[in-house]
Amino acid sequence: MSAEFETDFWKDAKSRKVWDEIVPGEPRKTIPYLLTLEAIHAYCRSVGDLHPLYFDEAYAKASPYKGLIAPPAIHILLMFACTPADDWMRSPGTINAGQSWSYNIPARPGDTITLQARALDKFIKKDRLFAVHDNVFFNQHGQVICAGRGQTIRPV
Amino acid sequence: MTDTFENIEIGATVGGAPFAVTRQTIRDFCDGSLDYNPLHLDDDYMKGSFGKTQFGGVIMHGMTNFGLLTRMLTDWAYPRGAVQRRLETRWLAPVRPGDTITAKGHVTAKRKTEKSRWLLIDVEIRNQQGQQIARGEAMVEFPPS
Repeated sequence: MSAEFETDFWKDAKSRKVWDEIVPGEPRKTIPYLLTLEAIHAYCRSVGDLHPLYFDEAYAKASPYKGLIAPPAIHILLMFACTPADDWMRSPGTINAGQSWSYNIPARPGDTITLQARALDKFIKKDRLFAVHDNVFFNQHGQVICAGRGQTIRPV
Repeated sequence: MTDTFENIEIGATVGGAPFAVTRQTIRDFCDGSLDYNPLHLDDDYMKGSFGKTQFGGVIMHGMTNFGLLTRMLTDWAYPRGAVQRRLETRWLAPVRPGDTITAKGHVTAKRKTEKSRWLLIDVEIRNQQGQQIARGEAMVEFPPS
């Protein structure tokens, strides 16, 4: 994890877009992120996922993957790692309502990950404010790692 | 591993390990995901109301469900030479410290396409009371050897 990552999500709260300001179709600001083995392991341990493809280099080298990889759901980490502190996904009170992701190739330790992201839609349902986000992660070779979208209920 | 695409039956089950949720596991997920939303950290903040919803205390990240479902699917797929290609989920109820949640799934369909072979798997997570707290659908590919 980057040493300068701001863990106080209140700090930049005023600079983030509220639901009214989110424009479907408008790209979100993103930043490249060097995915380290340490970051992969921190994520894996947090869900108890200790598969040797992520931890055992000799095992991973002998596998069809020919080396250590990250689990498919590493995009959970990448979503925050590849966006700046004023991204609206960090607004305190943001409630995740569900997600769908498709996977192409695995991310690997040492990859520099980039993200193309935008709001895709926003709507009001049962008196709640929803935003749909649409995201594609790439490695340093321009290969798609995964693509997905999700719905969040926006704080009011 | 003797399972192949051909001999996997519709209805075959996929099981995950129970996961005991604590304040520490939630904090660990903050560090692992970089998601430090106060929903998961700040009891005082969580005493407030969120529109029509009151949580009454910190809750687990919804994406922990996603990570546990992924762990279940990959643990099942890797030894069979298969690849998790898709996961779609909805969260149905919050999870709190003290809950124990378990993922499971079952195969609902098999499909051969021009160049590959696919399984559809319905997935869910239930808590210790049997309440369904997340559900969704996954797609696993058995690439041609």
